Amino acid sequence: MSAARPTAIADTCFLIDWARWRRRDVIFKVFRLVFVPESVLDEITSENTIAWIANWLAEGSLALFTETRDIVEEARRLVERSREIPWIRAVDLPEAICLCAGKRWGYVVLTENRGALMAVEAIEEYRGVKVWRALEVIREALRTGVIAVSDPLSVFREYEEDTRHIFPRRDLESVVRELEGDAGKVG
Amino acid sequence: MKEMPGKWAELEREAREIRRRYADWEFIEKQPPRLRAALKYYVETGDIRRAAKLAGLKLEDFRELLRRANVPVVV
Repeated sequence: MSAARPTAIADTCFLIDWARWRRRDVIFKVFRLVFVPESVLDEITSENTIAWIANWLAEGSLALFTETRDIVEEARRLVERSREIPWIRAVDLPEAICLCAGKRWGYVVLTENRGALMAVEAIEEYRGVKVWRALEVIREALRTGVIAVSDPLSVFREYEEDTRHIFPRRDLESVVRELEGDAGKVG
Repeated sequence: MKEMPGKWAELEREAREIRRRYADWEFIEKQPPRLRAALKYYVETGDIRRAAKLAGLKLEDFRELLRRANVPVVV
């Protein structure tokens, strides 16, 4: 029996690529629930992404996250703090809201924003927040058998092909090695 | 620390090279000045939110423009 599925919160950059992938619905087998902040929903414009979100909101696997004043204030502080660290890529309010919610409630933060990835490394109080890109979500789907294939790399290639999103080579090789190692252990 | 730590600097360098290599420069050069500047900014920085602002487009519309310009997101 697998461990309980986690809850996630997704930002715009993640959703607009993920929603183009042929296997996009697997996300709801990886996560119990995925929150979408209202500020993120405001940034979604394509029919494809909106229709996908609407369908899963109706199913109850996606849920709207309404930003409260205190979360927005905390997120604004995080944005300011990220600006004070010269080497960090910008963290903007929608990503910051996801990071704050991730910190407060333990949600996995889904983003393709490198600033968010850097912030959890650079800012002490956010260090424990789990931030996943599509790379890690797919890894988890493969690791847990949600996607069962003999060639894990082909799944990442599908994603790259469908979305025009490219995974950094070193990260991709490391994840594929890890998955093939896991498969070896199981087999 | 003012300089980007090595791991991130390397990732940024790799991403920029991939964006430059894949980009359809003919398509980019044919765009109106504002879109052209925003696309070039994105190729160099990977900062989609600022690039979308420069283009005067919503984030997802700018992402679609990136696809048409064959500029990948590398994260």
